[in-house]
Amino acid sequence: MQSEISLHEDHDVEGTDVFGFWLYIMSDCILFACLFATFLVLHAPGSPGPQLKTWLSLSDILIETFFLLFSNFTFCLAVLSLYQHKLLRIQFWLGISFLLGAGFIFMELKEFIHLASEGFRWDVNAMASSFFALVGTHGLHVSCGLIWILIMMIQIPLLKHQDKIARRRMTYLGLFWNFLDIVWIFVFTIVYLMGAI
Amino acid sequence: MTRHHHGQPDLGTGKKNLGIYVTGFIICSILTLIAFGAVMTSQFSKPVLFFIIFSAACIQFLVQLICFLRLNVETVQGKINVMSFVFTGVILIGIIMGSLWIMWNCNYYMSH
Repeated sequence: MQSEISLHEDHDVEGTDVFGFWLYIMSDCILFACLFATFLVLHAPGSPGPQLKTWLSLSDILIETFFLLFSNFTFCLAVLSLYQHKLLRIQFWLGISFLLGAGFIFMELKEFIHLASEGFRWDVNAMASSFFALVGTHGLHVSCGLIWILIMMIQIPLLKHQDKIARRRMTYLGLFWNFLDIVWIFVFTIVYLMGAI
Repeated sequence: MTRHHHGQPDLGTGKKNLGIYVTGFIICSILTLIAFGAVMTSQFSKPVLFFIIFSAACIQFLVQLICFLRLNVETVQGKINVMSFVFTGVILIGIIMGSLWIMWNCNYYMSH
Protein backbone atom coordinates (compact mmCIF):
# COMPACT_ATOMS: atom_id res chain seq x y z
CA MET A 1 0.00 0.00 0.00
CA GLN A 2 2.82 2.32 0.93
CA SER A 3 4.63 1.75 -2.33
CA GLU A 4 1.38 2.26 -4.24
CA ILE A 5 0.94 5.71 -2.75
CA SER A 6 4.50 6.79 -3.50
CA LEU A 7 4.03 5.52 -7.05
CA HIS A 8 1.02 7.77 -7.48
CA GLU A 9 2.86 10.75 -6.10
CA ASP A 10 5.66 10.04 -8.51
CA HIS A 11 3.26 9.94 -11.43
CA ASP A 12 1.65 13.20 -10.40
CA VAL A 13 5.02 14.95 -10.31
CA GLU A 14 5.96 13.62 -13.76
CA GLY A 15 2.62 14.64 -15.24
CA THR A 16 2.76 18.09 -13.68
CA ASP A 17 6.31 18.66 -14.93
CA VAL A 18 5.42 17.87 -18.51
CA PHE A 19 2.24 19.92 -18.23
CA GLY A 20 4.34 22.86 -17.04
CA PHE A 21 6.54 22.54 -20.09
CA TRP A 22 3.43 22.32 -22.27
CA LEU A 23 2.24 25.61 -20.78
CA TYR A 24 5.61 27.17 -21.64
CA ILE A 25 5.11 26.00 -25.23
CA MET A 26 1.65 27.57 -25.23
CA SER A 27 3.02 30.90 -23.99
CA ASP A 28 5.66 30.70 -26.71
CA CYS A 29 2.76 30.30 -29.16
CA ILE A 30 1.42 33.65 -27.97
CA LEU A 31 4.86 35.24 -28.48
CA PHE A 32 4.83 34.01 -32.08
CA ALA A 33 1.21 35.18 -32.49
CA CYS A 34 2.31 38.73 -31.58
CA LEU A 35 5.15 38.58 -34.11
CA PHE A 36 2.81 37.22 -36.79
CA ALA A 37 0.27 39.97 -36.02
CA THR A 38 3.04 42.60 -36.34
CA PHE A 39 4.21 41.15 -39.63
CA LEU A 40 0.68 40.97 -41.04
CA VAL A 41 -0.08 44.56 -40.06
CA LEU A 42 3.18 45.97 -41.48
CA HIS A 43 3.16 43.81 -44.59
CA ALA A 44 1.51 46.16 -47.04
CA PRO A 45 2.19 45.27 -50.69
CA GLY A 46 2.40 48.87 -51.85
CA SER A 47 4.80 50.09 -49.15
CA PRO A 48 7.91 52.06 -50.12
CA GLY A 49 11.36 50.51 -50.04
CA PRO A 50 12.62 47.15 -51.26
CA GLN A 51 10.19 44.26 -51.52
CA LEU A 52 10.85 40.78 -50.20
CA LYS A 53 9.31 39.24 -53.31
CA THR A 54 12.18 40.37 -55.53
CA TRP A 55 14.80 38.16 -53.87
CA LEU A 56 12.66 35.30 -52.69
CA SER A 57 13.89 31.86 -53.70
CA LEU A 58 11.01 29.46 -53.06
CA SER A 59 13.03 26.36 -53.91
CA ASP A 60 15.45 27.17 -51.07
CA ILE A 61 12.52 27.60 -48.69
CA LEU A 62 11.13 24.25 -49.83
CA ILE A 63 14.45 22.56 -49.00
CA GLU A 64 14.53 24.27 -45.59
CA THR A 65 10.97 23.09 -44.93
CA PHE A 66 11.93 19.51 -45.73
CA PHE A 67 15.05 19.73 -43.54
CA LEU A 68 12.87 20.69 -40.59
CA LEU A 69 10.09 18.20 -41.35
CA PHE A 70 12.55 15.35 -41.77
CA SER A 71 14.40 16.36 -38.61
CA ASN A 72 11.09 16.23 -36.77
CA PHE A 73 10.44 12.73 -38.10
CA THR A 74 13.90 11.41 -37.18
CA PHE A 75 13.45 12.85 -33.69
CA CYS A 76 10.24 10.83 -33.36
CA LEU A 77 12.27 7.76 -34.37
CA ALA A 78 14.78 8.61 -31.62
CA VAL A 79 11.93 8.71 -29.07
CA LEU A 80 10.71 5.38 -30.40
CA SER A 81 14.21 3.87 -29.97
CA LEU A 82 14.31 5.21 -26.40
CA TYR A 83 11.16 3.25 -25.61
CA GLN A 84 12.78 0.14 -27.15
CA HIS A 85 15.97 0.63 -25.07
CA LYS A 86 18.29 0.85 -28.09
CA LEU A 87 21.00 3.22 -26.98
CA LEU A 88 23.02 3.38 -30.19
CA ARG A 89 19.98 3.88 -32.33
CA ILE A 90 18.81 6.81 -30.15
CA GLN A 91 22.19 8.48 -30.64
CA PHE A 92 22.09 7.84 -34.38
CA TRP A 93 18.64 9.38 -34.86
CA LEU A 94 19.42 12.31 -32.55
CA GLY A 95 22.57 12.93 -34.58
CA ILE A 96 20.58 12.91 -37.84
CA SER A 97 18.00 15.28 -36.31
CA PHE A 98 20.82 17.59 -35.28
CA LEU A 99 22.41 17.59 -38.73
CA LEU A 100 19.10 18.28 -40.47
CA GLY A 101 18.32 21.09 -38.04
CA ALA A 102 21.81 22.52 -38.56
CA GLY A 103 21.21 22.37 -42.33
CA PHE A 104 18.05 24.39 -41.82
CA ILE A 105 19.85 27.05 -39.78
CA PHE A 106 22.73 27.16 -42.27
CA MET A 107 20.34 27.78 -45.20
CA GLU A 108 18.39 30.38 -43.24
CA LEU A 109 21.56 32.30 -42.35
CA LYS A 110 22.71 32.12 -45.96
CA GLU A 111 19.35 33.53 -47.04
CA PHE A 112 19.55 36.35 -44.46
CA ILE A 113 23.06 37.30 -45.60
CA HIS A 114 21.94 37.21 -49.23
CA LEU A 115 18.90 39.42 -48.47
CA ALA A 116 20.99 41.88 -46.46
CA SER A 117 23.65 42.15 -49.17
CA GLU A 118 20.94 42.83 -51.77
CA GLY A 119 19.63 45.76 -49.73
CA PHE A 120 16.72 44.11 -47.89
CA ARG A 121 18.14 44.85 -44.43
CA TRP A 122 16.28 44.95 -41.12
CA ASP A 123 16.73 48.72 -40.91
CA VAL A 124 15.29 49.75 -44.29
CA ASN A 125 11.59 49.70 -43.34
CA ALA A 126 9.14 48.43 -40.76
CA MET A 127 8.13 45.47 -42.92
CA ALA A 128 11.74 44.27 -43.18
CA SER A 129 12.17 44.65 -39.42
CA SER A 130 9.08 42.58 -38.70
CA PHE A 131 10.25 39.95 -41.23
CA PHE A 132 13.64 39.56 -39.57
CA ALA A 133 12.08 39.63 -36.08
CA LEU A 134 9.62 36.85 -36.92
CA VAL A 135 11.87 34.54 -38.94
CA GLY A 136 14.85 35.36 -36.71
CA THR A 137 12.97 34.47 -33.52
CA HIS A 138 12.03 31.13 -35.05
CA GLY A 139 15.64 30.59 -36.12
CA LEU A 140 16.85 31.42 -32.62
CA HIS A 141 14.46 28.85 -31.17
CA VAL A 142 15.75 26.23 -33.60
CA SER A 143 19.35 27.08 -32.63
CA CYS A 144 18.46 26.59 -28.95
CA GLY A 145 16.83 23.29 -29.90
CA LEU A 146 20.07 22.22 -31.65
CA ILE A 147 22.12 22.91 -28.52
CA TRP A 148 19.51 21.02 -26.53
CA ILE A 149 19.79 18.00 -28.85
CA LEU A 150 23.58 17.98 -28.31
CA ILE A 151 23.07 18.08 -24.53
CA MET A 152 20.53 15.26 -24.86
CA MET A 153 23.08 13.15 -26.74
CA ILE A 154 25.46 13.51 -23.80
CA GLN A 155 22.72 12.80 -21.26
CA ILE A 156 21.29 9.67 -22.87
CA PRO A 157 24.25 7.38 -22.01
CA LEU A 158 24.45 8.89 -18.50
CA LEU A 159 20.77 8.17 -17.87
CA LYS A 160 21.05 4.58 -19.14
CA HIS A 161 19.53 3.09 -16.00
CA GLN A 162 17.07 5.88 -15.27
CA ASP A 163 14.43 5.30 -17.89
CA LYS A 164 11.86 7.55 -16.32
CA ILE A 165 14.07 10.64 -16.27
CA ALA A 166 15.38 9.99 -19.79
CA ARG A 167 11.85 9.60 -21.12
CA ARG A 168 10.65 12.77 -19.44
CA ARG A 169 13.56 14.80 -20.80
CA MET A 170 13.05 13.42 -24.30
CA THR A 171 9.37 14.34 -24.02
CA TYR A 172 10.29 17.97 -23.27
CA LEU A 173 12.65 18.18 -26.19
CA GLY A 174 10.17 16.40 -28.45
CA LEU A 175 7.41 18.88 -27.61
CA PHE A 176 9.79 21.78 -28.26
CA TRP A 177 11.10 20.39 -31.57
CA ASN A 178 7.63 19.51 -32.91
CA PHE A 179 6.31 22.90 -31.85
CA LEU A 180 9.03 24.63 -33.89
CA ASP A 181 8.03 22.67 -36.97
CA ILE A 182 4.39 23.67 -36.44
CA VAL A 183 5.38 27.35 -36.19
CA TRP A 184 7.42 26.92 -39.40
CA ILE A 185 4.27 25.77 -41.30
CA PHE A 186 2.78 29.18 -40.63
CA VAL A 187 6.03 31.03 -41.29
CA PHE A 188 6.43 29.54 -44.76
CA THR A 189 2.72 29.92 -45.57
CA ILE A 190 2.24 33.48 -44.33
CA VAL A 191 5.68 35.01 -44.91
CA TYR A 192 7.09 33.21 -47.93
CA LEU A 193 4.18 31.79 -49.95
CA MET A 194 1.91 34.77 -49.34
CA GLY A 195 4.86 37.07 -50.07
CA ALA A 196 5.54 35.32 -53.36
CA ILE A 197 1.96 35.41 -54.66
CA MET B 1 -7.17 7.94 -9.93
CA THR B 2 -6.52 6.67 -13.41
CA ARG B 3 -4.45 3.60 -14.07
CA HIS B 4 -1.92 3.58 -16.88
CA HIS B 5 -0.78 1.12 -19.44
CA HIS B 6 2.26 -0.80 -18.23
CA GLY B 7 2.56 1.45 -15.17
CA GLN B 8 4.06 4.30 -17.23
CA PRO B 9 3.52 7.88 -16.11
CA ASP B 10 0.77 9.76 -17.89
CA LEU B 11 2.50 12.50 -19.86
CA GLY B 12 -0.49 13.14 -22.10
CA THR B 13 1.60 12.44 -25.20
CA GLY B 14 -0.01 9.16 -26.26
CA LYS B 15 1.49 5.79 -27.09
CA LYS B 16 4.54 5.57 -29.31
CA ASN B 17 4.26 3.73 -32.59
CA LEU B 18 6.10 3.93 -35.86
CA GLY B 19 3.04 3.72 -38.12
CA ILE B 20 1.52 7.01 -37.02
CA TYR B 21 4.86 8.86 -37.43
CA VAL B 22 5.34 7.54 -40.96
CA THR B 23 1.75 8.41 -41.89
CA GLY B 24 2.16 11.90 -40.44
CA PHE B 25 5.43 12.44 -42.27
CA ILE B 26 4.01 11.33 -45.64
CA ILE B 27 0.86 13.47 -45.32
CA CYS B 28 2.90 16.53 -44.27
CA SER B 29 5.32 16.07 -47.18
CA ILE B 30 2.46 15.84 -49.68
CA LEU B 31 0.73 18.94 -48.26
CA THR B 32 3.98 20.93 -48.31
CA LEU B 33 4.59 19.94 -51.92
CA ILE B 34 1.02 20.88 -52.87
CA ALA B 35 1.36 24.34 -51.27
CA PHE B 36 4.77 25.09 -52.84
CA GLY B 37 3.83 23.52 -56.17
CA ALA B 38 0.68 25.65 -56.46
CA VAL B 39 2.62 28.87 -55.86
CA MET B 40 5.71 27.96 -57.90
CA THR B 41 3.81 26.90 -61.04
CA SER B 42 1.43 29.90 -60.59
CA GLN B 43 -1.29 28.60 -62.86
CA PHE B 44 -4.10 29.67 -60.55
CA SER B 45 -5.66 33.03 -59.77
CA LYS B 46 -4.81 34.79 -56.50
CA PRO B 47 -7.90 33.85 -54.44
CA VAL B 48 -7.54 30.18 -55.47
CA LEU B 49 -3.84 30.21 -54.48
CA PHE B 50 -4.67 31.73 -51.08
CA PHE B 51 -7.33 29.09 -50.56
CA ILE B 52 -4.93 26.27 -51.50
CA ILE B 53 -1.99 27.37 -49.32
CA PHE B 54 -4.14 28.16 -46.29
CA SER B 55 -6.12 24.95 -46.41
CA ALA B 56 -2.85 22.99 -46.89
CA ALA B 57 -1.36 24.79 -43.86
CA CYS B 58 -4.41 24.16 -41.67
CA ILE B 59 -4.58 20.46 -42.57
CA GLN B 60 -0.83 20.07 -42.01
CA PHE B 61 -1.19 21.82 -38.66
CA LEU B 62 -3.86 19.33 -37.58
CA VAL B 63 -1.86 16.35 -38.88
CA GLN B 64 1.23 17.50 -36.94
CA LEU B 65 -0.83 17.99 -33.78
CA ILE B 66 -2.28 14.50 -33.98
CA CYS B 67 0.66 12.53 -35.41
CA PHE B 68 3.73 14.24 -33.91
CA LEU B 69 2.60 16.16 -30.83
CA ARG B 70 0.16 13.29 -30.12
CA LEU B 71 -2.57 15.52 -28.79
CA ASN B 72 -5.34 13.24 -27.55
CA VAL B 73 -8.26 13.08 -25.15
CA GLU B 74 -7.74 9.48 -24.07
CA THR B 75 -6.07 10.28 -20.73
CA VAL B 76 -6.73 12.91 -18.09
CA GLN B 77 -3.44 14.66 -18.85
CA GLY B 78 -4.23 14.63 -22.56
CA LYS B 79 -7.56 16.32 -21.88
CA ILE B 80 -5.89 19.04 -19.79
CA ASN B 81 -3.35 19.59 -22.59
CA VAL B 82 -6.12 19.96 -25.15
CA MET B 83 -7.99 22.40 -22.89
CA SER B 84 -4.95 24.64 -22.46
CA PHE B 85 -4.29 24.37 -26.18
CA VAL B 86 -7.82 25.52 -27.04
CA PHE B 87 -7.47 28.44 -24.61
CA THR B 88 -4.20 29.45 -26.30
CA GLY B 89 -6.02 29.29 -29.62
CA VAL B 90 -8.64 31.74 -28.37
CA ILE B 91 -5.96 34.20 -27.18
CA LEU B 92 -4.07 33.75 -30.45
CA ILE B 93 -7.11 34.55 -32.60
CA GLY B 94 -7.82 37.54 -30.34
CA ILE B 95 -4.33 38.94 -30.83
CA ILE B 96 -4.05 38.37 -34.59
CA MET B 97 -7.61 39.15 -35.69
CA GLY B 98 -7.86 42.05 -33.23
CA SER B 99 -4.67 43.69 -34.52
CA LEU B 100 -5.68 43.26 -38.15
CA TRP B 101 -9.18 44.60 -37.50
CA ILE B 102 -7.95 47.69 -35.63
CA MET B 103 -5.25 48.47 -38.19
CA TRP B 104 -7.65 47.95 -41.08
CA ASN B 105 -10.05 50.43 -39.46
CA CYS B 106 -7.26 52.97 -38.88
CA ASN B 107 -6.25 52.63 -42.51
CA TYR B 108 -9.87 53.01 -43.65
CA TYR B 109 -10.48 56.20 -41.67
CA MET B 110 -7.12 57.66 -42.73
CA SER B 111 -8.03 57.42 -46.39
CA HIS B 112 -11.72 58.39 -46.18
